[in-house]
Amino acid sequence: MAEAVIVFELPVERGKVREFALAVAEDNPIHYDADEARRRGLPDIVAPPTFTVTQMWQVPREERERRLGANLAYERVLHGEQEFFYRRLPVAGEVLTGRMRIASDVTKRGRRGGAMRVVTYESVFSDASGDEVVRALYTLMELPPS
Amino acid sequence: MSVPSDLRLGDVFSGMDLAEVVFGPLERADIVRYAGAAGDFNPIHLDDAYARGAGAPTAFAMGMLPAGYLAHAVSDWFGGPQHLRRFRVRFLTRVWPGDEIVCSGRVDEIEGRLVRVRFEADRRGPGPRELELPEREPAISGDADVEPPA
Repeated sequence: MAEAVIVFELPVERGKVREFALAVAEDNPIHYDADEARRRGLPDIVAPPTFTVTQMWQVPREERERRLGANLAYERVLHGEQEFFYRRLPVAGEVLTGRMRIASDVTKRGRRGGAMRVVTYESVFSDASGDEVVRALYTLMELPPS
Repeated sequence: MSVPSDLRLGDVFSGMDLAEVVFGPLERADIVRYAGAAGDFNPIHLDDAYARGAGAPTAFAMGMLPAGYLAHAVSDWFGGPQHLRRFRVRFLTRVWPGDEIVCSGRVDEIEGRLVRVRFEADRRGPGPRELELPEREPAISGDADVEPPA
């Protein structure tokens, strides 16, 4: 029986912020140097804009599939689109709470004929006060069998 | 090293071109580093034999790696990522080891304090020989809403 929502923690660890920032070739000191971040009006070092993709460490694909039950044929799946909405950037040291659900699941006619399924996962990340920080939409396309 | 620009709201006009930013060429190590950082261990990005079994000549980058470079470029255009309010990318084609990622963009419209930007990341490089890819082609398109400092 599939669940409607997966609730999970996303710790914004200092070392993880640095590791992720290096992986996307970030050189802005607000991801590495707390003093520099404070000089720019931020409380501490902040995560890069796409950091919440590290939710894959918290909820790997197999677990997401098992619990939300989209039942996609992954050998035919492409990452079609990704969108983030920001109230602010995650700050090192905080633990965000993520709530992930399937926001839409539609079937469209593919460009080369056949039905293409488009599934969008929504993850809303909120802080310790319950305020939303980042919302992420992750859209997968399942191509028709060839 | 790139440096965040000091573009302020008053400096921005619709149709304004934003300075091109180039990342790469992408090395296998960059893909492995991103896999570890993000937690994305899909073997199609890491294992050539697996990728061949899935119909690709070699392993290729996960889309969120060049998308992360694009987020970096958009952030630098407007004084840093703390000014981003929305960021969206659409993936158009695969990015291969050896590719450079060329990010370019322009200001689309300004509504109050919010600046809408459209941007692209092109892959530039030979790609796997079997695919006979163009030397340069759009790999990602997208748009973002930014609230630059007043």
